[in-house]
Amino acid sequence: MQYKIATLALGTALALATTTGAHAGNATPNDIRIGAYFVHFDTSATAFTGPYIVPGLSTSVKNTTTLYLGYVRTLSRHFAVELAFGWPPVTHAVARGPAAVGSVPYNGQEIATVRWLSPTALLEYNFFGPTAHWRPFVGVGVNYTYFYDRSVTAAGAAVSGGPTSISMPSSVGPAVTAGFTYRINQRWHVVASYSVAQVNTRLTTDTAGVFRSSSVHFWPNAVVLSVGYSFGL
Amino acid sequence: MLKKFGGLTVAVLATLALAGCGGNSQSAAVSTSTQPGTLAVNPPLRVASLSASAFAANLDATTSGQQLLQLAGTPACGVDFYYLKYWTVAPDGKPTEVSGALMVPTGAGSQCSGARPIVLYAHGTTTASNYNIADISDPSNAANSESAMIAAVFAAQGYIVVAPNYEGYDISNLGYHPYVDGAVNAEDMIDALTAARAALPHTFTPGTTDSGQLYVTGYSEGGYVAMATVKAMQAAGETVTASAPSSGPYALEAFGDAIFFGQVDIGSTVFAPLVTTSYQNAYGNVYSQTTDVYSSTYATGINTLLPTTTPLATLFQSGKLPEAALFDSTTPVTGNTQLDQLLAEPTSPPYTPEQAALFDAGFGSPGLVTNTFRAAYAADALTNPDQAMMTLLNGGTLTASDVALAASPSVGLRQDFKVNDMRNGGWMPKEPMLMCGGDQDPTVFFMNTQIMAAEWSPLVAGGLVSVLDLNGTPGGPFAPLQSAFQGTYAAMVSAEGASTAIQSYHATEAPFCMVAARDFFAQVP
Repeated sequence: MQYKIATLALGTALALATTTGAHAGNATPNDIRIGAYFVHFDTSATAFTGPYIVPGLSTSVKNTTTLYLGYVRTLSRHFAVELAFGWPPVTHAVARGPAAVGSVPYNGQEIATVRWLSPTALLEYNFFGPTAHWRPFVGVGVNYTYFYDRSVTAAGAAVSGGPTSISMPSSVGPAVTAGFTYRINQRWHVVASYSVAQVNTRLTTDTAGVFRSSSVHFWPNAVVLSVGYSFGL
Repeated sequence: MLKKFGGLTVAVLATLALAGCGGNSQSAAVSTSTQPGTLAVNPPLRVASLSASAFAANLDATTSGQQLLQLAGTPACGVDFYYLKYWTVAPDGKPTEVSGALMVPTGAGSQCSGARPIVLYAHGTTTASNYNIADISDPSNAANSESAMIAAVFAAQGYIVVAPNYEGYDISNLGYHPYVDGAVNAEDMIDALTAARAALPHTFTPGTTDSGQLYVTGYSEGGYVAMATVKAMQAAGETVTASAPSSGPYALEAFGDAIFFGQVDIGSTVFAPLVTTSYQNAYGNVYSQTTDVYSSTYATGINTLLPTTTPLATLFQSGKLPEAALFDSTTPVTGNTQLDQLLAEPTSPPYTPEQAALFDAGFGSPGLVTNTFRAAYAADALTNPDQAMMTLLNGGTLTASDVALAASPSVGLRQDFKVNDMRNGGWMPKEPMLMCGGDQDPTVFFMNTQIMAAEWSPLVAGGLVSVLDLNGTPGGPFAPLQSAFQGTYAAMVSAEGASTAIQSYHATEAPFCMVAARDFFAQVP
C-alpha cells in the first residue's frame, strides 16, 4: 500500500515535471554515474520478543561502503529523475544488549550478515541553468530494499540456540537527497550528495521452529561521491 | 522517454529476481515421522547455556539455590539446556507430540565431555499445564526449581539428563495428563530417551556422547514413572544400569485403599481429579458421570480441570477444588460395623496425634468425593482386600507372602489402581535399584516403598534393591544425607512450626533423594 502511494506520487510528480518544461534542445539528457556509497546506519531496533529469550536483546548494523551506480534522465530545465543503487553490500548485524546471554557472549558479537539490493528512484530539482558549473539539487523519492543472502554467524547461532534462519520482508519507504553537481564540461561532471531513506523491516528468526522477532529501523544515510558522463540517445 | 525508463526498471527488477535466488541459512529440520521416539525438530533448541561458574552464581543468588548448591556440590561442568520435541503414544494408541529437556554437561574437564552416562528423570506431580522442565531461563515457569535441581545434581556433575514434560503438559494437546498410567508414562520416558539420543550428535557439543550407561530416576509421581520405566525397559529387553525411584506411589492399590479408609494424604484433592481423569480416559470405568464420584459442588468440569494455567491457590479460592477436604466430615454409615469403623475419621490412638491431625484435615463439608463413592470403594477394599493394606491395618509386618494385590476388585477405580500398581505383573528389577523416601512423608506415604521392598524382599536381602529412609537412624553409605535431611527438617519445624513444616516435608526430601540417587549411581558403573 505504502509502495503504491509512493509510486503514484512519484508518477504524478514525473508527469508534472515533464509537462512543465521540455528537454527539447538538451542534446545529452542521459547521465550515467559511478562512484562510492558511504552508508551509515542509525539503526534503532526493538528488543527481540519471543519464546526463551531474555529482555534487552537488540541489534545494530555496521557502516558499509559500496559501489554507487546511477542513471539520471533530464526531464526539463530543472527537473531530472535519478535511479540510484549500490552494488548490493554485505551488511553486518552486531548484537547490542547484555554482555552475555547465560554464558554465551552477546554484546558486540557479529550475529548475522545480509545483502541489500536497495534501488532508489528520485525526482530531483536542480537549481541554476543547465550550463552552470555548480548546480545544487534536492530530491525526493522512494526506496525499495530487498534483503537476501541472509545468514546467521556461528555467534548468532550460539546465542539463538541452534541453526537459525532469518526472514526480513522487503522495505518500501521515502528517500530524500541533497547535493550538488560540478560540471567539468558538457560530457563530464562530478556529483556529491547526501541521502537518507526510511528502511524498515520486521526481522524474524527461526531457531528449531521457535520464532523471535524485532522491528528494525535502519535509517541508512549515505554520502555519495561520483563521476558522471552525459550523452544523448 | 518513459518507455526507456520503464525498460531500465524491468532490468532492475530482473536483477532483483536473480538476487532472490541468493542463499539463506537454514533452520532445524522438522520430522515428518510421528513414530514413537522420533525427534520432531532436529537439532533441538538450546534454551540456555551456562558455564559452571555462571550456573553456580545463578544458584548462589537465591536462598533455595544456596541450599541446593550446598547439597549438590559446586558445579563441575557447565550445562546446556535443550528443548526436545518428540513423538510418543497417547493412551488411545495414537501418536502425540510432547516435549522435554535434554541437559548436556559442558566444559573442558574429562568429567564434562566425551562419553557421558545418561540420567533419565521423571518429574513430580504438577497442576501447571505449561510445565516445561527445559525452561531454565524462565523463573516464573512452575518447572524452574525442579529443572535447576536436576541440573545441579546431575548435569553439572557430568551426567547427560533427559526429562520429559509428560503428555498433557507444555506443547501436548492431549487435553489431560495420563497420570500414574504406568505403561503410557514409561513409553513417554523411553521415547524421550530415544529422541535425546538422536539429538546428541547435533548439539553444540557433538563430542559429548552417550556412554551407554543409563540411570533412571524420578521423584514423587516421577518415582512411580521411573519404576514403571524400569519395568517396561526390562520387559523390552533393554538394560537399565541402575535406577532410583523416589517417594513414588508404587503400590497404588494399597495407597488408594489407605486414603479411602481415611488416611487422607496432603495433596489428595489435586491427585484425585488427576487420577480419575486419567483412568476415565484410559479405561472409561471410573464413572458414568462425574457426580458418581464427586460432590455436586465440584463435579461440573472436574474432568477437564487439571492440568491448568490457573494457579492452584486460585482454584482453591474460587471453589473449584477444596484445599484439603477429600471426604465429607459426616462419614458414611453403612451398617457394616467393620466398614463403618474404617470410614470414620481416624483417631489417636491408634494413630499418633500428628497423624490424626493430618488425616483430619482431609475431612470437611462438603468433601470433594461423595460418601456414596467412598463407601462403595471402601466396601470393595474390604471385600476384595489388598493383602498389604490388610497387613498394615492389622499392625503386621510386611513380608513377601502378604503383599498380594486384590484378586478381583469390583470398583472401576480400584481395578485401574491394580492394573497400574507396580506389584502387578510379578516382575523384579534385574539391575540395582535404590528406593529413597522418608517414613513420615505425609503426601506419598512410605508404605509404597515398604510394600515394594517386601514384594522384592529376596532382592533387598541380596542387596540388589535397597531402601533409603531419610528419616531413619543415620547409618550406612547415606548416613550424611539422612543427618542432613533430618537437620534441615528440624530447622523447618523450629522456624515454621510442625504443622506448617509437614506441608513441605515431601518437597524437602526431593533434593536429598536425588543426591542419594547420584551417589548410588556412582557405585554402579
